Amino acid sequence: MHHGMGVDGYYPLLYVIWLLPLLGAVACWAFGPQLKRTAGALGSATIGASFVATLLSWGAATQSAGGALGAHAHLFSWMPGWNFGLLLDPLSLLWVLIITGVGFLIHVYSIGYMYTDRAIARFFAYMNFFVFAMLTLVLSDNFVGLLVGWGLVGLASYFLIGFWFHKPSAVAAARKAFVINVVGDVAIMFAIFIMFSRIGSISFGDVFAHVDRLGSLLFLVCLCLFVGAAAKSAQIPLHTWLPDAMEGPTPVSALIHAATMVTAGVYLVARCWPLWNASPDAQMLVGTIGGLTALVGAILGIAQWDIKRILAYSTMSQIGYMIMGVGAGAYAAGVAHFFTHAFFKALLFLGSGIIIHELGDEQDVRRMGGLMKKLPFAFWCMLAGVLAISGIPGFSGFFSKDAVIYGMLQHGHPWLYAVGILTAGITAYYMFRLFFVTFLGEYRGTVATSAPGAGHAGPGGRPAHAPGWLMAVPVGILAVFATIAGYVLIGGGASPWSRFFAQTFPPESLPRPAIGEGLTTVIALVVVLCGIGIAYLRYATKEALANAPARLARESARMPAPLVHLFYFDDAIEWLFVRPAQLLGEIFGRFFDPRVIDGAVQETAVSSQWLGALVRSAQTGLVRAYVLIVVFGAACFIAYYALAGGVR
Amino acid sequence: MTILLIVLPIVAGSLLFLAPSGDKVLSKVVGCAVAAVTFFEAIFARGGGDFTVRWLSRPFTAAFHFNTDGISFWIVLLLALCTFCAVLACNVPRTRNFIALLLLLEGAMMGVFTAKDLLAFALFWDLMLLPVFFALAGWGERRDTAWRYLIYNFAGGLALLLATAAFGMAYGSTDVIGQAAHPLAGTWAPWIFAGFAFAFLVKTPVWPLHTWMPATYADTPSPMVAVVSAVQSKAGLYGFIAIALPFASASMHDASAFFIVLGSISLLYGAFAALAQTDAKRIVAYSSLSHLGLILIAIFSFNAIALQGALVYIIAHGLFSAALFLVIGYVEEREESRSLARLGGLGKANPRLAGAFTIAALAALGLPGLAGFAGEIVILTGVVQAGNIWPALVALVAIVVAAAYMLRLLQGAINGPQVADLPVRRDLTLLEGLAMAPLLAALVAIGVNPHLLTSALAMVTK
Repeated sequence: MHHGMGVDGYYPLLYVIWLLPLLGAVACWAFGPQLKRTAGALGSATIGASFVATLLSWGAATQSAGGALGAHAHLFSWMPGWNFGLLLDPLSLLWVLIITGVGFLIHVYSIGYMYTDRAIARFFAYMNFFVFAMLTLVLSDNFVGLLVGWGLVGLASYFLIGFWFHKPSAVAAARKAFVINVVGDVAIMFAIFIMFSRIGSISFGDVFAHVDRLGSLLFLVCLCLFVGAAAKSAQIPLHTWLPDAMEGPTPVSALIHAATMVTAGVYLVARCWPLWNASPDAQMLVGTIGGLTALVGAILGIAQWDIKRILAYSTMSQIGYMIMGVGAGAYAAGVAHFFTHAFFKALLFLGSGIIIHELGDEQDVRRMGGLMKKLPFAFWCMLAGVLAISGIPGFSGFFSKDAVIYGMLQHGHPWLYAVGILTAGITAYYMFRLFFVTFLGEYRGTVATSAPGAGHAGPGGRPAHAPGWLMAVPVGILAVFATIAGYVLIGGGASPWSRFFAQTFPPESLPRPAIGEGLTTVIALVVVLCGIGIAYLRYATKEALANAPARLARESARMPAPLVHLFYFDDAIEWLFVRPAQLLGEIFGRFFDPRVIDGAVQETAVSSQWLGALVRSAQTGLVRAYVLIVVFGAACFIAYYALAGGVR
Repeated sequence: MTILLIVLPIVAGSLLFLAPSGDKVLSKVVGCAVAAVTFFEAIFARGGGDFTVRWLSRPFTAAFHFNTDGISFWIVLLLALCTFCAVLACNVPRTRNFIALLLLLEGAMMGVFTAKDLLAFALFWDLMLLPVFFALAGWGERRDTAWRYLIYNFAGGLALLLATAAFGMAYGSTDVIGQAAHPLAGTWAPWIFAGFAFAFLVKTPVWPLHTWMPATYADTPSPMVAVVSAVQSKAGLYGFIAIALPFASASMHDASAFFIVLGSISLLYGAFAALAQTDAKRIVAYSSLSHLGLILIAIFSFNAIALQGALVYIIAHGLFSAALFLVIGYVEEREESRSLARLGGLGKANPRLAGAFTIAALAALGLPGLAGFAGEIVILTGVVQAGNIWPALVALVAIVVAAAYMLRLLQGAINGPQVADLPVRRDLTLLEGLAMAPLLAALVAIGVNPHLLTSALAMVTK
């Protein structure tokens, strides 16, 4: 049975999945003034249709046709070895389902969230364009197509971080995100150059079939690809743009900077597993960077007060887990954490969006508190998200995080195993800190809140009347998935998850580690409960809640300097790269050009000043006179040579 | 047909000086009509219309020989398109004279890019300098800029003429461009190549011969600098590909390290210098220095893929630099400034202007999916294949810096809060939009699939 497939696995429905969001983007952009708020419905509908088309393609994507797994569609060829096409196999199917599925929910939510914004059509044009770009990234069957998608999601991210472009902070954050991502882009380019010069093709299939031809350059290729992955997925030291990216509207943070785009690095490593499997050094490097990022992100998450920045550092930390997983060779586990994270992190962002929306754009948790009574819906949804990310049994994060942590031990990385468990504890601490400070105690802010979903005064001062269900229903659906999504992992090697990826990733026959899976779960759970306990003692006891304002003020005043300065990553980049580049530019443009090079030229020109005097006298200022002289001169020139040629 | 591409703009441009000087509309209508006709001629000129008139027979044979084949066709098409867009966008004082100069410039450059005879090439080479000189003298802010432009480029032109004469003496004929021939041999060959190379390096320009360029680009009115940076700056690179590669490849191979180093320095120097400029046009000028250095590296890598990429990038750079200069012209007309210290917040009242500016800037910084990226990645693939790892790494650094300076330019003009004391003017008019649209559309089309261009060059280079 070929599930509507043409010959040789050629599958036309892929074009529909890929291009529908682009169609929506172009329509929203071209007819924005006419569409106004219906742009949201149009944008959501195209994403939803793309999701349905992807579901219909499930069968085609998971079966082998003609020896190759998945569904294909050819696009065009730039030149020999540069063939562009689309590929939907289990790995890209998973990503496309999340991009379009979670993307659809976030689009619907955005209709409510952006209701009062005058530029709502532009917003949906960008959001749809992002989905198109992300689909280009994961559907491409070659490295250059992937890189095009890679660059275009960066552009969409740039547009949406800087969506409110009258704010200087948003403009600066957008530029920072873009430039750091270009660092990643050029690294991937360099990897492509090496692969092409050794293998003569840009397609995944050809490259992975001839990994041996890379020889001693294999590690360099992996390193370059990983620099790209690190820039996109906010791995240290290229993570500094992600917290700043929270300048964008909250649905953007949920879709791009949590659920999908920032996981592109995980996709890249998982997609290129034949490269990593052939280079243990590269695996060690990627696993270590992932583990470090998980730890550093979690530690920095402790020290934040902005609700979105707390979530941003938690995203960085959670992607660290994923990178650690796929980097160390536990591909299915790392990808599973992407799957569950997409739900619970989107849930957390959209839940915090409800809070921010209700409190009139307040994002500082010190001016929240007591929201359990004011916003019960947000309370329950956020609770589900916090339990999931903390790894409480029964919620999705528990299954995938345990799989990653246990995978570290299976693949022989005891240190990463320890880091994973420690980070789980810190994660539980800062997430419950967020939760307690926001929802318990007395309200510390000044904004009079209304019932959830009734809307607030928009930036323009106009009252908003978006129907409450537009924001509530997507959040509710995400809460359900954030709870149950991990159940596909139950059953170990026989789980639905393992069977889904059976033909995608290499079969694993690993030695049983000294610490079993059950014991790992118990250790991790104890550490997580310790984290929650400390958070409870500091923020949720009767005494803590009674003196909350004073205690929170004291905590921010006594915050250790390295945490306040975010471990000095930003300063290091500023002093090592940004300032020297600017200085070099000043030297070249303002000193070297006018003084050194032109100085030398003018030395020689002084001797010919009589020439200048001569021509000055000829400057009558009339262009007509000049033109006549030129025409006359040219005519003489031509006539002379014509005659001379004729005579001889 | 080919000869019409040269004659029509030159005759029409000369006659335009006779029109009443006050009638802006007439000048613009005539200018647009001539440019449009030339453009359609160019489309249909592909590979056909060989025009030859014998000229000299001693001491060497020469002919007025023009043809629109291979790489010439694409540059001619670019030139015709850019001129049309520039005339359409043109809104400068003394419109009649300016449009007449634009047409003369187009005709002279058509001569350069279709000449199949070296002497005709050298003749039109000098001729194409004059309209720019007059534009600088008549519309520029500082007179010495015009003289600097002319003296620098005439020095190059002189070298070109001498080299051409020597080539003729040594080879027996100058009617050689684009014809299968044996390479130049003998003790003079390296010196002849050096003469050509000097002219080409000045014209492109390449570091350290570039200091005429930022001032020229800043002072020339935007519609003309759009054409100059898009097409005139390609004359030297075209010369390397069409003249030096077939006839002096031995000399080129011998000196390749020297040229690759110059190209690499231009790449980095231009990129960092652009980072420190505040004049929008100077930012684009230095970015040109950087981008064209990459093409020089591509040519001197002697690699088929790199050469195909060079053609893509020649066209791509033409399109995005023309678009950038036109759009900066629009900004300057509206805000009476092009200093980043003054500009800001244009996007709020001028969304269409902001959109056009954004696409042009993104193409210039090499956004994947637009033509600049296609050129860069194909060039660098070939450069690495040829074993030039360090120049490729330099280029990658320059791409990162390009993102920084292009976004600084773009955001500095259109983003941020509206500047209080700048006038608020209306958004792009229909004509201004029409002048941008074909450039931007071509950037997208070539960016998605540059195969049309690369296959054209594959035919030329066999």
